[in-house]
Amino acid sequence: MPPSFDRSVFVNCPFDEEYSPLLQAIAFSITDLGFFPRLAPENADSSANRLDRIAELIRSSKYAVHDLSRSKSVAAGEYVRMNMPFELGIDHGSRLFGSGKLSNKAILILEYYPYDYQKALSDISGWDICSHQGDHLKAVRHVSTWLMRQAGAPRIGATRILGHYSDFQEWYWERELAAGASEEDIKAYPTVQMVEAMREWVDAGRPV
Amino acid sequence: MSSKRGQHVVPTDAGWSVKQAGAARASSVHSTQAQAIASATKIARSQNTEVYIHGRDGRIRERNSHGRAPYPPKG
Repeated sequence: MPPSFDRSVFVNCPFDEEYSPLLQAIAFSITDLGFFPRLAPENADSSANRLDRIAELIRSSKYAVHDLSRSKSVAAGEYVRMNMPFELGIDHGSRLFGSGKLSNKAILILEYYPYDYQKALSDISGWDICSHQGDHLKAVRHVSTWLMRQAGAPRIGATRILGHYSDFQEWYWERELAAGASEEDIKAYPTVQMVEAMREWVDAGRPV
Repeated sequence: MSSKRGQHVVPTDAGWSVKQAGAARASSVHSTQAQAIASATKIARSQNTEVYIHGRDGRIRERNSHGRAPYPPKG
């Protein structure tokens, strides 16, 4: 059964190895605060096409974190990633033109350096925009503070959330080692699998 | 599964902290990761438990067992 609209946080970000440490920390902070991170790779074997699945995640999530840190190419000839701003546009459009609960959606924008958005997407000036500079500590602070302010999440300091994050990882590693995985196996697990384990850890009462 | 709580070497704004799983606060903070690992290892040996060394990205990158080791590291 999918999580409720009021507890769902759509996470629109790159799904590659370089970004996965940030995504995992962001997903953990959302989970630790009692919400559900909703990621595009969910139900990846679905017959629905990718954009339809993303549209459904947007429609079913009151909150969204959109990371635009890949809006700047870092090498000559490199294309910037357009998926994230495109999906942000769908989300904003659903808030703007949607009826009922869709009009109450809330959006947090993450960028790499402060004011990058002014060069790449100045139309969003005045929105909730925070820079993480590739640092998971900053990303957790921004996401948790925003969820407390926008969604009434419990007031838990980012340092405590990060402490829970290391507790969770110990539990996860020991569980997977006991199931016959090697350390390299665990490091290679896809983020979606780890996010599912985060929910299991919270539901189990955050065992240490 | 673990019966004892491991020692974690984690990055913070102030440097590298040593923190026992479940503890609210770090037991010590160090300017280098090597110093933090030495401190965590000393505690882990006395408690027969594990040291989990996290990378700058916050994820566990190494696990060293000091005692019970039902799943000892390879090598």
